[in-house]
Amino acid sequence: MSASFRRSAVAIAVAAVILALVPLVAGSFMLHVATIAFYYVILAASWNLLAGYTGQFSLAHHAFAAIGAYTSGLMGYHLGTSPWIGIPCGVVLAGLCGLVLGRLVLRMRAIYLAIATWAFAETFHIYLTADYKFTRGELGLSVKSLYGTTDPMPYYFTFLALTVVVLLGLRLLIDSPLGYFMRAIKDDELRARSLGIDTTKVKIAVFAVSSAIAGLAGGFYGHFIVLLSPQMIDFSEMAKIVVMVVIGGFGTFLGPIIGAAPVQVVMTYLQAYGEWNLAVFALIVIVLMRFSMEGLAALFTPLWRRVWKLP
Amino acid sequence: MAAALEAIGLRKRFGALQAANDVTLSVDAGEIRGLIGPNGAGKTTLVNLVTGVYRPDAGEVKLAGQSIGGLAMHEIARRGLVRSFQVTRLFGGLTVRENLLTAFYARRPSANDDGEAQAERMIRLTTLGPLADTQAKKLSGGQRALLQMGCGFMVPGSCYVLDEPFAGINPVIKEVILDMIVEMNREQGAAFLVVSHEMAIIRKLCPQVTVMMEGRVAAQGTLDEVARLPAVVAGYLGKALE
Repeated sequence: MSASFRRSAVAIAVAAVILALVPLVAGSFMLHVATIAFYYVILAASWNLLAGYTGQFSLAHHAFAAIGAYTSGLMGYHLGTSPWIGIPCGVVLAGLCGLVLGRLVLRMRAIYLAIATWAFAETFHIYLTADYKFTRGELGLSVKSLYGTTDPMPYYFTFLALTVVVLLGLRLLIDSPLGYFMRAIKDDELRARSLGIDTTKVKIAVFAVSSAIAGLAGGFYGHFIVLLSPQMIDFSEMAKIVVMVVIGGFGTFLGPIIGAAPVQVVMTYLQAYGEWNLAVFALIVIVLMRFSMEGLAALFTPLWRRVWKLP
Repeated sequence: MAAALEAIGLRKRFGALQAANDVTLSVDAGEIRGLIGPNGAGKTTLVNLVTGVYRPDAGEVKLAGQSIGGLAMHEIARRGLVRSFQVTRLFGGLTVRENLLTAFYARRPSANDDGEAQAERMIRLTTLGPLADTQAKKLSGGQRALLQMGCGFMVPGSCYVLDEPFAGINPVIKEVILDMIVEMNREQGAAFLVVSHEMAIIRKLCPQVTVMMEGRVAAQGTLDEVARLPAVVAGYLGKALE
């Protein structure tokens, strides 16, 4: 275990303990909002792995969450399968779809990759809407709840635990040789190849892993909100993930963690203003991207250094 | 004993330009060979052909007697053919130490080897100690060249192809790079093909040189031998070396 992993693990553990005490003071609506915020932390962190660390600016991440959610949801709806079987199936399917999509967009540069992945997501969106006999389309797919209750408390703890596990896993990955290769590829792919890095393999692997994580988050999310609709792959969902990561700090480990919750909470309360909500955030993103890609995380860096007495 | 690196009849055309025209060249095991010639002679094209950046239209490349034609760039690198780029390429967002570690992990011979210790050693060797945790994009030109060279030496290669490692660098850093090459050559027996316009360094470093002009090998021999050839004087040096 590297020192960097240990430091992050301690910080995550402290945060988890504090968050585990939140239900003592928070009401059930707040817990509901917080649970959804955890869902977005996982999506943002896994998308950041792909876009922020490896430089593959995919716009299909929300679609992989939907693949996870719909796989488990449809299995339950049509076959009566338990969520505990459905969710792993969703993870595997999301990972496999990520593998294939990653292979297809391998040689594409930034904007072309963004467009191609967006097209993939839109195609899936249209399919879910059109094949309503199977997917229930806009009518919405009723999904069994995970714990047979709508009380958010058990879901809050489930998502808290999931988030902790995913973040620790991502930290391990980023500190491993594979993590170095990812950042190397983002900086200069030709140079990475000339050093002996199999960039093809790394890029596809990261695509598959980050998609599988999105599928995992989506699977649990579906059994929490209990009604799935193609709204899950609306572009605004993807935009939300991008906004969260950029505000928090693109390509930083802390970024998606501290970016997701505030954005989700503020957006929940701004819902009355409809799409204007997103426009406001788009403006914030443009300003932030102009001045600093490190977002809110940059504010925490000096504090982090002081706590651990780093140079 | 097979040559460390062999290029046999390499050809490469870019549109109307025949950048490499039947280039045959060999670097013996343990040799440091110079590659000189005017700008546009095809030196960098040759480097790109042997390291797998370009596929040759015709011809063959052998590394230690084995053909590496058709292998991907990263596979060639893992077989021990290491290159540096004329315009230094580094991972700007990574620190000096992380750049070295990335180079180490990329060609690491076995999972047990200690990259951190090797990185520490290389930081000393490159005199980049105070900058170890600085992002590579903040380095000066000379420091970038040093770091690029250090990355190449993180895992010993069997043959190094260095494209203008001394271009635009101050004399002190030139000496450091020179020492690194000589040490790697003596200790590990690594072969080198060094592209450079610095005749003083070539004379010191390379017993034998190859001259390229207009996509062809124009001459081979010691620097003083080739420097006497009228064609080399007229087409490259401009005047005889003193």
